[in-house]
This record gives sequence, structure tokens and C-alpha cells, in this order.
Amino acid sequence: MNRDTGISTVSAFLRWVDLARRPYLPAIAVTLLLFMLNGFLQPKTLRPVSIVADISTYLPMILLAVGQTYVVLASDIDLSVGSIISLVNVVTVSVMAALGGSLGAIIAGIFVGIAVGIVCGAFNGFCVAVLRFQPIVSTFASGIVFAGIALWILPAAGLAAPDAYWETYGENVAGIPFVLWILAAMGIAVAVIAQLVFARSLLAVGGNIQSAYQSGLPVARLRVRAYILCGLFSALSALCLTGDTASGDPLLGAKMTLGSVAAVVLGGTALSGGRGNPLGSIFGAVILGLIGSVVFFAGVPFEYQNLVQGLIVLAALAGGVTVARR
Amino acid sequence: MGVLEVKGVNKHFGAVVALESAELEVKRGEVHVLIGSNGSGKSTLCKIIAGSVIPDAGEIRIEGTVTAINRPQDATQAGIGVFYQELSLVPQLSVAENLLLAALPRKGPGLVDRAAIRRRAEALVEPFAEVTGDGFALEALVQDLRSDQRQILEVLKVLATEARIIIFDEPTSSLDKRQVTVFFDLVRELRDSGRAIIFISHRMDEIFEIGDRVTVLRDGRSVECLRLAETDQDTLVQHMVGSLIAPVSAGQHQARDDYDDTLLSVENLCAHRLDGVSFELRRGEILGFGGLHGQGQSLALRILFGAEPATAGEIQLTGSSRRPSKPADAIRKGLAYLSGDRNRDGVLLTRPILENLVAADLTKHKRFFLYPQRLIRKISPVVDRLKMRFSGFSAPISSLSGGNQQKAVIGRWLTIQPDILLMDDPTKGIDLHSKTDLYQIMRELAAEGVSIILYSSEDAELLGIADRILVFNGGRIVQQLEGTQLTAFNLYQAAYGVTA
Repeated sequence: MNRDTGISTVSAFLRWVDLARRPYLPAIAVTLLLFMLNGFLQPKTLRPVSIVADISTYLPMILLAVGQTYVVLASDIDLSVGSIISLVNVVTVSVMAALGGSLGAIIAGIFVGIAVGIVCGAFNGFCVAVLRFQPIVSTFASGIVFAGIALWILPAAGLAAPDAYWETYGENVAGIPFVLWILAAMGIAVAVIAQLVFARSLLAVGGNIQSAYQSGLPVARLRVRAYILCGLFSALSALCLTGDTASGDPLLGAKMTLGSVAAVVLGGTALSGGRGNPLGSIFGAVILGLIGSVVFFAGVPFEYQNLVQGLIVLAALAGGVTVARR
Repeated sequence: MGVLEVKGVNKHFGAVVALESAELEVKRGEVHVLIGSNGSGKSTLCKIIAGSVIPDAGEIRIEGTVTAINRPQDATQAGIGVFYQELSLVPQLSVAENLLLAALPRKGPGLVDRAAIRRRAEALVEPFAEVTGDGFALEALVQDLRSDQRQILEVLKVLATEARIIIFDEPTSSLDKRQVTVFFDLVRELRDSGRAIIFISHRMDEIFEIGDRVTVLRDGRSVECLRLAETDQDTLVQHMVGSLIAPVSAGQHQARDDYDDTLLSVENLCAHRLDGVSFELRRGEILGFGGLHGQGQSLALRILFGAEPATAGEIQLTGSSRRPSKPADAIRKGLAYLSGDRNRDGVLLTRPILENLVAADLTKHKRFFLYPQRLIRKISPVVDRLKMRFSGFSAPISSLSGGNQQKAVIGRWLTIQPDILLMDDPTKGIDLHSKTDLYQIMRELAAEGVSIILYSSEDAELLGIADRILVFNGGRIVQQLEGTQLTAFNLYQAAYGVTA
């Protein structure tokens, strides 16, 4: 290869690594780094079985982060996603139990769960976009409401999900683990959504809401749709989590809300809206999981694990911000 | 019968009357100019037609039918397209996406049709291809564009809607002369194809060049509708000013050679778009920066104020050879910067008038506690001098008209008694009355020994008030005009790079 083509290849690559257009690239790099570090600390984590197990662990947060991304892209935020998970989980498990745990009951439970997520999202969207409440305060409050309803439906953890439900979730379907099917389906959904006029319009709303309104875009409807999408993804996340835990727990999602926001930001999406990509959030969620794993395998004493984990998240965020500002 | 008729429209914002039985009739195939000082109601009238402001009373007829316009979408459906003075672009989207944002071409179930976007955007951009300059590609993100390129994009965005009634609210404020020429050709084409165009500009020469008829607004009322071919500038100004008879001239200009010392000297200043600028500024002098728009005049001022970095060069301020590293540093060294871009560089929009007036004072004199009454006593003389009108110091500055906001920003700088006042197109978008006040203040300040560097996009303003003009072209000073050389002919010649 002569020198000129070498230079043009490099410059073509540098053009491709345009962080304004591909804000998720640092997240992918950090994911690879952590993955290799993890493998170095504990080589067994590189086995396919371990990778599938990891994906199954990270999948709920991945779905949640993807849902959160759509809201954040419109420069809103949803602090009720954790509570939506709890509510969907107890509703799904309760419906399945009430109908006797047959195949029909499982399907009914899934559909009711998804419907609950969508209704929660629509409620948030209505409060924020139609009633013009502050997104942070409004969704924080609605989160308390959703969590309250979850506790009311199932006051104590422990109602078991039907065996067939969680067994299927953990099994192979057509020779491939079920979680990978879900991941693939989600990937396709994200790719299709990215091609929609909806996605472009959402970026416009997040980038400059006044411009979007003056350009004649249906701003309120777009924001409501983003919240509905977020509610839908939260419900799917809850269904996966239920497959993992195999039972109903009214506090299941309580700690996942801020994790989803962190994953979105780690993935290069701006909290100010208008810039970002759900692809980045997927890697952001994986980064959060891998950091926990690395800290564990590095043999950090239990009492320091949270501290070290927090510092690494902070460093990853700082790194991402620095690279993006360059 | 006009294609658009506005009848008896009233609009109040709180106690302020923005429009009172305003009338407007625009015919098919004409360029209808709206003029009036700031606060006369032009912008409000346009916003009502565009559906972003709902009137208290009155009706809008389109092709003779009364049409309710309560949202921007209603206006779009009625065939009204609006160019916004405050740019309505989304910085994170590409040029092509911004162009077609209101109706992105789709295929199938709501999928973006990229090929169609490219095709349509290409056709729209084509007429401006020669004058947009570097970096104006269909895929370029709007955040990377220059202000004139954004303004062109804004124009094209309106054209993309294929509206039959188009409102251009100060579409040329950021454009250079070549870009304006292309734009006017396009406007004439639109007019000849039967569109109705409403045109707002503060530049008389443009109004007479492009307009067919003109409606003059004063204090929210339509006072006159005239054919431009049958009137002249003085008559229009007379209608705008009404009973008040104010001179429109930029002030008495006298050649001076009694400067005693040099206050500022700049040697070989270089930056990204600045190529070796050198000059000296004498005490009590009004130095003009002239030339076509965007040739480095603003940039030079912003570097002097420490708001932009320079790659090379020396700036000698009396008593210090160090370049101001940031605005706070420049302020302490006796510099002040007044920008025409009030929203970006000037007003703290949501904050009270008082805070806006004392912002520079607080930077110059670091204080621990604030005593509002003391501050008010300190700024009162400045407020009186500027003839500012407002209801109270605690009202947010956003409640003032553009001209009064700009006066408040001037007041901020006068409070700290600067040695050098840097003015970056300070009268952009200000009514004639406020402009006249501003020229008066500049003259007074110069007489008191304050040195002023003025960049203005209005050549008449520059010629009227500057003692000396440095003409910029492509980031260089190409010519210096002084005394009897200060003529429009010399200025234009130098601006276009013709060496005398």
C-alpha cells in the first residue's frame, strides 16, 4: 500500500470516527476494554456459556436503557422506569397465578404486563407533554405512585411465576438461547425505529423544541410517544427480569432507574437531548454490568466494591465527556 | 382583493399593547414590506399570521375566507410559510433534514426516505450553490454552519414548504451582499410566480430595491399603506416616527487630528479566520471596522475582548502588554463589548433589569455582599442618560423591547466607565429611534475620551459616525479610510477588494 492511499484511509477512518455523528463509539471501546480486562482477571468469563449468562444478566438493564434513550433524546427524562418494572412484574405474575399458570395464563400475563407498561408511559407523557409538568418531578412522583400500586397488588415478595415461563426464558429455542433471540429482536426493533420519521422528529424536539414547534412538528404527540416507547421497553425489561427471578417482587426495579440514566449517558447520549443513539445505551448498560464483574473478579473487598464501582463509572463518564468535547 | 387580509387585530401582552386594530392586505404577486420601529408590532403581527401567537380580537382572511389560525400547523395548512428572525433550526440535524423537517419524505410505514430527502434538498440548495461558501453540504450538521449559512438554510426551509404566502422577517441580517443579491433574485422569482410575500427589513435600500408596497406600523396600528415607487425614504421615516421629528442622520461628523495618545495597539493578530491584523486606536477616537459581512471584523473584536482565542499576534493595552485571556480579564483592563447578538452575548433573558445592568460592575469590582439600593443609586444616572423606559428594576429584561434591551446592555458597560468600547454590529435589529439615541451616546463618550471600535453591517451608519474606517476583506485589513476618503464609493470599492 503506498503512502497516499494510507493517508486517505486514515483520514477516511477519522471522518468515520466523527463523535458528533457517532457518539456511541467511546462506549463500544470501553466495553471491549472492560471485556478484555474481565477475561484477563478471570479467563472463564470468555467462555460462550459465561457470555450468554452475562447477556441474560444485563438484558433487563439494556432494555431499560434503550427505552430511557428515547425519552432523553427529546430532552425529557423518566425517573419512574424502575417502578414501572416493579408494577409490570407483580401484575404479570399475579395475572399468571390468578389464571392458573397454564400457557394461556402466561400469554395473558405477558400481554397485560406490556399493556401496563404502555399505560404508565402514556400517563407520564400526558403529565409532561400535555399538562406541561417538569419531567424530573413529574416522573419521580408518578414512580412513587406506580411503586405504591405494585405494593398494593402484592404486599410481599415471593409469589412464584409459572415454571414454564422462567424455564423457557432460560432455555434454548431452535438451538439458540432464548435471551439471544430477545436481544436480536430488540436490535432489529431499534434499527427500524432509527429509520422512522418519528426518530428524526424526536431529535429535532430534543435539539430545539421551539424550532420543532415552529416547523410544525406535533411536539406534544412526539414526546408522549417517546414516553410510551419507554414504558413499553420498561415492561419488556420487567418480563426478562421476571424470567430471571421467577417470582413477583414489588421492589424489583427500585434500584434500576438511575442505572438506566447512567447507561444512557455512558452511551454518549446528551441529557440535554437531541444527540445520541440507543445503540450507545446498549453498550452503556453492558459497561455498568462489566464494571461490577471486573470489581468482583479483581478481588476488591466486599465493603469497598460500591465505592470502586462508583469511581469507575465516574471515570468512564468523564472520559466520554472529554472525548466528545475534543 | 388580497390573498391575505388581516382586519382589526388586537393583541395585548399584560398591560402592553402590541397591536391595536392592525390592518394588512397582501396581494398575489407582490412583495409587501412591513416597516415600523421596534415595538411597533411587526413581529407580533407576523407571529399571529404564523399561528404562534393567538390574537385577542380580529380576523384573518385567506382568499377571502375567514380562517382560524391557532397553531403553526394551521398556518402551514393555509399555505403560509414563515422565515423566523430567531433561527428555527435544529443544530444536531443535518442541512437536508432541517430543510425538510416539517414534512420529511417518507416511504412505507413512516420510514425516512433518504434518497428523496437528498433529491429534494439538492434542488432547493442549488440556486445558492455559488454563495454559500465552505462547509455547506447537505450532510453537514447545522451546528457547524456559519450564521450566514444558517440564514440561507432558514430561507430555503421556508421555500421547501411551497407556501403561497411567505413571511420573511429580517431575512438578510446575516447575509453578505452577494448572498443578498441571490436571495432577492429568488424573491422576485417567487413574486412573479404569483406568491404573496411579506418582507420585513431595517435596511431602507433593501426595502426600496425589493418592495412593491409598504405598510407602516406605529405603536401597534397600521398608519399608512403606500406604493414604494411613489414614495421616498424620508416620507417613510416620517410615518414611522409620527409626530416626533427626529433626525435620522448618524450624528455630526467632524475630522479630528487632536488625539494625544494611543490607547491600544494591535500587531499581526492571527486566528482561524483572521490573517495578520494590525492597527492602533487613539484616545477618544471612533474607529470603524467596515467591509462585507463576516470578513473577520466581529472575530477581531471578540479576540480583543478575550472571548475567542488568537493563534498569534500582540495586543498592547496601556499599562499592559498581555492579551486579555477571558472577558472578565478584559473588563478589569477597561474594555467593554457590546454585541448585536443580544441573546447570545448580551442580556440575561430571565433575570431582572437590575441584574442585567450591574453584571459588568460585579465582574469589575468583586464584592461579597450585594446591596440592591446602593447598586440602583449607582446605575440611576446611566439609566437617565440612556432614556430607558421600564416599569421597575425587578422586572425581567425579557419584558423590554429589543431596543430597550440593548440600551440596558450599554448601561451595563457605562456603569464601569470603560476606556475602550468594542461594538459588534450593535444596532442590528434595533428601531431607528433607539439607533439615533445610540449614536448620540457614542459621540458623547468619544468626547469624554472613551475610544470606540465599531463594526457595523450598515455602511451608512459606519460612514456617518466613524472617524476612521478599516476595511476588512478575507480576515485582512485591506484599506484605511480617513477624512475626505470616507465615502460610500471608497468603502464599497475597498470592501469588494478593489484597490484604489
